[in-house]
Amino acid sequence: MSTRDYLGEFEHIVVLALLRLEDRAYGVTVRQEIEFRINREVSIGAVYATLDRLETKGYVRSRLGEPTPERGGRSKRFFRVTAKGLAAVNRTHHALQCMTKGLDLIRSNS
Amino acid sequence: MMSRASSIQPPRIAVWLVGLFTPDHEAESIPGDLLEEFSNLASNSGVPFARRWYWRQSVKTIAHLFGTGLRVAPWSTGAAVAGGYLLGSFVHGLPDKVLSAVTDRYLGYWSSHFKAYMFWATDGMWAAHLILSVFVGCMVALAARGREMVATMTLAIVLCTMAGVAYFASVAKHWPMDLALSWMLFQCSGPFASIVGAVIVRTSRSAARSRPSGA
Repeated sequence: MSTRDYLGEFEHIVVLALLRLEDRAYGVTVRQEIEFRINREVSIGAVYATLDRLETKGYVRSRLGEPTPERGGRSKRFFRVTAKGLAAVNRTHHALQCMTKGLDLIRSNS
Repeated sequence: MMSRASSIQPPRIAVWLVGLFTPDHEAESIPGDLLEEFSNLASNSGVPFARRWYWRQSVKTIAHLFGTGLRVAPWSTGAAVAGGYLLGSFVHGLPDKVLSAVTDRYLGYWSSHFKAYMFWATDGMWAAHLILSVFVGCMVALAARGREMVATMTLAIVLCTMAGVAYFASVAKHWPMDLALSWMLFQCSGPFASIVGAVIVRTSRSAARSRPSGA
């Protein structure tokens, strides 16, 4: 994997949600955090598709929790951002800052 | 309150459809997350709202799982689809050959039982076409382990698209409307039967997987 890899838009949002949620990050909380913060309804399938892709890249790590009755005896799958994932977020942020520096986005839009 | 909410079940068909498309390693997390949110919504916003939410989430989730299945393993899925297409091309010629051979062998019998011959030549051929399509769907699903529905539905989409193109390019122009529609129905019934075959394989695999953990 290249050190110049940046996160895609939704990947970026999902990793930031994981960082906010810390140890409570699993499908439901990630989905709700995204909906709450950016008011965008996302499907659980979209969240897991992105988390799987991030795990394949080594940006997040997952572990299964204990089965709970309110989930029909199924386990939660908790996610955590790895050091590599954190570096990717910083790289993406830096790239976005460099690209937006000096731009008057409000005036450009009108 | 909690026990009442947890006793309310999400739409069974939606649960079943999500289960068909969920990969093995997400078999716990995706249905569990959907059920957890459904139970919370049912107790906070009412069962009708929660059911609508569940259906909306299920449709979007299936669309994502379908796309992810194709993206993650395009070559193996493509190979299963191509193999299914070739197998289908081969096996769908067999009923005609069998009917021709039987007709030649028992010509005397068929000439005195013409209605029976017509039954086998029309409805019998259609039934054979459907049974063989289910067989092809099973084979594709067996080849595409973990992506049974993705591979078989891709094959079905390819076949239906080919039938649609042939219909508008030639059949609808040259055949009477009722015959053309029957032809189209015949062509699309095969892909649908293939999906049924994939559902059979997927369901039996899921049942086999859940049996040891349930014991």
